[in-house]
Amino acid sequence: MAAPFTRVYRPLWRIITTTTLNKGVRNVSSTRQQWSAQNVKTAGVASPWALHGAVCLQRLPVVSQDRSPIEDEFMELMHQMELERSLLSDHELRLLEDAARMSRKQEEESDEEEEDYRDKDIFTAQDLEDIWEQKLKQYQPAQRSQGVDEKGVSSSERCLAESLILLVKKDVGSQKLWLLPQIQWQTGETLRQTAERALASLPVGADLKATFLGNAPCGFYKYKYPKDIQKEGSVGAKVFFFKALLSGHKHLPLEKNSFAWVKKDELQDFLKPEYLKQVRRFIMAL
Amino acid sequence: MAGIVCRTASRIISSQVSCSSSVVAVRHSHWFTSMLSLKTSSPLRAEPKKKKKVDPRREIMMKERLKKKLKRLEKVAPELIPIEDFITPAKCLDETRIRDAPKHSFEESERRALLLKEWSRYKYSQHQTEMDTINEALEAQRQALDELKLESEELYKAAVSPDTDIFPFQHEGPSYTPPVTNYEAPEGKYNDITRVYTQ
Repeated sequence: MAAPFTRVYRPLWRIITTTTLNKGVRNVSSTRQQWSAQNVKTAGVASPWALHGAVCLQRLPVVSQDRSPIEDEFMELMHQMELERSLLSDHELRLLEDAARMSRKQEEESDEEEEDYRDKDIFTAQDLEDIWEQKLKQYQPAQRSQGVDEKGVSSSERCLAESLILLVKKDVGSQKLWLLPQIQWQTGETLRQTAERALASLPVGADLKATFLGNAPCGFYKYKYPKDIQKEGSVGAKVFFFKALLSGHKHLPLEKNSFAWVKKDELQDFLKPEYLKQVRRFIMAL
Repeated sequence: MAGIVCRTASRIISSQVSCSSSVVAVRHSHWFTSMLSLKTSSPLRAEPKKKKKVDPRREIMMKERLKKKLKRLEKVAPELIPIEDFITPAKCLDETRIRDAPKHSFEESERRALLLKEWSRYKYSQHQTEMDTINEALEAQRQALDELKLESEELYKAAVSPDTDIFPFQHEGPSYTPPVTNYEAPEGKYNDITRVYTQ
């Protein structure tokens, strides 16, 4: 029973310091009695907030970001400076020797056949470079960017250079809202297990392999139910978000209208402003 | 008993011999009573062989000496393994490899200096945004934990307890081009020429 009292004490102290400087002592004591009475009642029953666990599933970037103009310039400058300050490598020395030998041959036109029969002079350094270029051309890498939104919002292959968050369309009360996948907490499990259940309970949940980052929630959102649904003992709900990284999936296409993989900038098109405000805090898009 | 028999036998034989021939067997050692007599050395007298006790002791002593020598050798501090990165290879000190120092125009050096300053400003602002984002995320987590504590102590404790399954954590970082589906890398061969030192 000491616990509820300590819980009351902190906000009570704030109230006392901020508002009761002008009020009389009698008032303060009466408010204190009211507070403790209230809290004892609610502690006995249950907290009025329903708990939900939600998962913020992130697909990390697959491809490196494009360089900004200043980064490009600086990269060029660094390459130049490094080249100027370096020593000549073996390959470059060989190139210079070959060039010198060629010019000597052309000027003198002497018979230097003995040199040609040494093993290393079958290929000049320039020839080696050409051979290597040819080999490189034989390999066709995949394309970096697939154009502007060729894939729909529900594919996880879009925007490979940025991290994407999974959103789900859900019925909340009477409306259909875009949310991070969430589910109600059941007694006997930790909130992290609730979040894992939330991910598994999605229709494609079995395909999405996720690594949860730690037991602690990364953010929370609290909302009150509209007046008509508010009963005694349930004022609203608190949603605790857990971060997870997508580790592997089978690239199955998701339903367009109920799933979306969204960048941080696009979140505002999907989420409600209050919800967005809380969610943006822990989504890092660097 | 056998000794008495041997002695009497030898006396008889020696007396006989001394009578018959002028050549007398000379005794070179008191162990050999007569050259012509039976060789009655200590093994034949059935005395227990004294060497049996001495030899194992000697062998044990020799083994101990060897072990002590080995220990002394091992106690010597082992040679330090050289760190190859700290030794400048002789190739780098070769004079033929020095490039000609390029001469830049005034504009070029100005451009470089200005670009470096611009870059430091850019990096500073990037660092600030990173720090702000991280602090924001940490603040959000702290507030979430506070709210959870208000809700229930049990859940708070479970949230704050360390997660043992996450490490070792592995993730492939971003590459320049995305991975090609069903790509078969060509088989390659390489000779590993790293030097392995043993102490």
